[in-house]
Amino acid sequence: MVLGTYKQITLARSTDKQIQKISQDGGIATGLLCFALDEKIIDGAVVAGPSDEMWKPEPTVALSSDEIMAAAGTKYTLSPNMWMVKEAVRQYGLEKAGIVTIPCQTMGLRKMQSYPIGVRFVADKIALDIGICCTENFPFESLKTFISAKAGVNFDLVEKMDIGKGKFWVKTQDDMISFPIKETHGYEQSGCKVCLDLVSELSDISTGSIGAPDDWSAVQVRTDIGETVFNKAVDAGAIELKPIDEGKFGLEMLTRLSKSKKEKAMKEIDRRKELGLPVPYKASSEKEDPLANV
Amino acid sequence: MSEKIVISPTSRQEGHAELVMEVDDEGIVTKGRYFSITPVRGLEKIVTGKSPETAPVITQRICGVCPIPHTLASVEAMDDSLDIEIPKAARQLRELLLAAHDVNSHAIHQFLIAQDIVPADLMVTAINSVSEIRKNAQYVVDMVGGEGIHPSDVRIGGMAKNISEVARKRLYARLKALQPKLDAHVELIIGLVADKGFPEGLGVHNQKPLATDVLYGDRTKFELDRFTEILPESWYDDPEIGKRACSTIPLYDGRSVEVGPRARMEVFQGFKDKGVVAQHVARALEMKTALSKAIDILAELDTSAPVMADYDIRGTNKLGVGAIEGPRGMDIHMAQVKDAKTQFYSCLVPTTWNIPTMGPATEGFHHDFGPHVIRAYDPCLSCATHVIVVDDEDRSIIKNEMVRI
Repeated sequence: MVLGTYKQITLARSTDKQIQKISQDGGIATGLLCFALDEKIIDGAVVAGPSDEMWKPEPTVALSSDEIMAAAGTKYTLSPNMWMVKEAVRQYGLEKAGIVTIPCQTMGLRKMQSYPIGVRFVADKIALDIGICCTENFPFESLKTFISAKAGVNFDLVEKMDIGKGKFWVKTQDDMISFPIKETHGYEQSGCKVCLDLVSELSDISTGSIGAPDDWSAVQVRTDIGETVFNKAVDAGAIELKPIDEGKFGLEMLTRLSKSKKEKAMKEIDRRKELGLPVPYKASSEKEDPLANV
Repeated sequence: MSEKIVISPTSRQEGHAELVMEVDDEGIVTKGRYFSITPVRGLEKIVTGKSPETAPVITQRICGVCPIPHTLASVEAMDDSLDIEIPKAARQLRELLLAAHDVNSHAIHQFLIAQDIVPADLMVTAINSVSEIRKNAQYVVDMVGGEGIHPSDVRIGGMAKNISEVARKRLYARLKALQPKLDAHVELIIGLVADKGFPEGLGVHNQKPLATDVLYGDRTKFELDRFTEILPESWYDDPEIGKRACSTIPLYDGRSVEVGPRARMEVFQGFKDKGVVAQHVARALEMKTALSKAIDILAELDTSAPVMADYDIRGTNKLGVGAIEGPRGMDIHMAQVKDAKTQFYSCLVPTTWNIPTMGPATEGFHHDFGPHVIRAYDPCLSCATHVIVVDDEDRSIIKNEMVRI
C-alpha cells in the first residue's frame, strides 16, 4: 500500500476564515492544532514558527492559538522540529504536546517513541502528530538560490510559495511566477533522494495538497488518536469535509506520486547499497514489498 | 580473645566498601574500620587540560545517584575561578534543582533501608510512598535541569535556559500537591525508625559536624587552610587496610568530621541528637525543608529574567571553590582556569569526609548493628575514591604528591 495504513481519506478544510486566509491549502494542520489546544487535547505544540529571517522557519513551541497561527503556511526549507521536542517537554513543561512533522521527522518521532534512549519521559508526552506531505525539502540557501535564479525574483519580495500542477509557484505582490518543478532537482537535500515516504505514513493524521483542489487538503486519518481528534473537530464544525475525487486529479494522483517517489527512492537506495554506502533502509531485494517504508 | 568480622562489600549502598570490625567475646565491636574498595575513576585527571565547560559534563558522571550536586559544585567552582556573578534567576534555578534532588535522593535512601526498618505488612505502603515522592521530585529535576539524571542545562555562568511560565505554574501545583504526601511520608519513616528499636547510643561518635549551609552550600564557609588530606596508610592503624583503601582521608582542623543532613541540622538548626536514629530522622526532616524551599522558589521565580551571565572564559588561574551541600553531605570541587583550559581540578566529596567517621561509629555495640550504622550515613563510594593503585601485585598506591588524581 503506497499511502500507508489509514482509516479514512477525505478532503477537508478549516472553517475558520482567519486560518483559511493565512494557511497554505485547507489549513488542516493549523486548524486541528488550534482546535486540539482549545479542547485541551494538547497543551502546546511544536511547530515551524517564524524566525528573524523571512521564510526561514524556526522550531517553536506554540502555547496559544495565535502562536500556532503565526506558524501557518508552508515554508519550503528545513525546520528541525524534532530538535525542539525535548525543550517543549522540559523547559516548557508540556505534558500533551502536539507536533507538526514532515515524513522523515514522523519516522524519527516514532522511532523516538519506540526506543526512548536519551528521551526518557519525553517521547511519551507527544499526544498528537500531524504529518504533512512532502516530496522533497530544500536547505535554506538552496531555496534562496533557485528562487532568485529561476524565478528571477528578489527573495525578500516573495509573499507565498507553493508546489502544484508540476510547477513551483512564487507569488509576489504583483506577480505570479512559476517554473517547472523539475528545475529544482539537484537543490534538494540528499536525504530526500532515499526517502520512501510521501504522506507521513506513521503520523496520526496526514495532510497535504496533492489530490485536492485549491484551498482544500487531502487528509488521511490514520490512528485511533487521530480519528478521535479529527471526528471531534468535524463534529464541532471546526473542519468541513468533502469526499475525495477518486479520479485522475484526486486519489489517483496521490497514489501515483507516492508510488513514483518510492520507486525513485528505491532505485537510489539500491544504487547506494551496491556501492556499499550506509542507507537506513533495506534494499529492494531484502523486503517483501519493494515499496514498503522500511 | 578478639575476633575480626569482615563485611565485604557492605550492601545496599552505592559503590563498594569494606567494613572490618574487631570484636570481643560478646561480639561487641572494639575497633571499627570502614574503607572504600571502589576502583579509582580518575575523572579529575580527565578534565585537566580541557576547556572549562568539559568539567561539569564529565564530573557529573562521578555518580548517577547524586549527579546534581557534582554538576553544581563543578559549575560553582568554575564560576568562582572565572569570577562570574550569576544572575539571580539562575541561582534560584540551581537552588530549586538541588532542593528537588535532595527530596528524591533521600527517598532513594529510604528505599535502601526499607528492609531494615519496614515490617512486611507496611512494605508496600512504604515503597509506594517512596515512589510517589521520587516521581514528583524527579519531574522538577527533569524540567529545571533538562535531564533527569545528568542535567544538561546547568552551565558555567548560570543556566542554559529559564523555565517557561507554564512550567513554573505546573511545578508549583505539583509540589504543593506533594506536600501533604511528603508530610505523611516523613511521619511514616520517623515512626518506623522509632519502632525498630535501635539501641540507644548506636552510632554515636564524637566527631564535629561540618556543613556550609542549610541546604544549598556556601563556599565562604569552607576554609581551605583548615583542610588537610592524608593517605589511608597513615590513617588506618592496620597496614593491610591502609594499602587496600582507595580513598584519601580528608581532615578539617586535623580531625575527621561528619557531613550530611544531620551535620547540617546540627550546625544550622540546633539539632542535638546523634547516632543512627538521629541520622534517619534528620534525613527525613530535611526532605520537608527542601520541599518547602523548592515551593518558595517556584512562587518567586521570574521566568522572563536572564539566567546566563557574560563572562571571559580565559581565566586568571584563580583557585575557584564550589561548595554544595549534597544529600549525603558537603561536596567541594576546586578548579583553576587559565588560558581557557582547566589547569587543576579536585573533588572533595561527601562520603570521603564520612569514611573515617563511619568505622569508629560502629564501636561499642554488637557487630550485627555494624551495617545499620554504615547505612545510616548513606555512603556513596564511587565518588569518594581518590587514590590510585600503581601495582596490582602488592596493591600499593601512588606517591603522595600524585594523590589528587
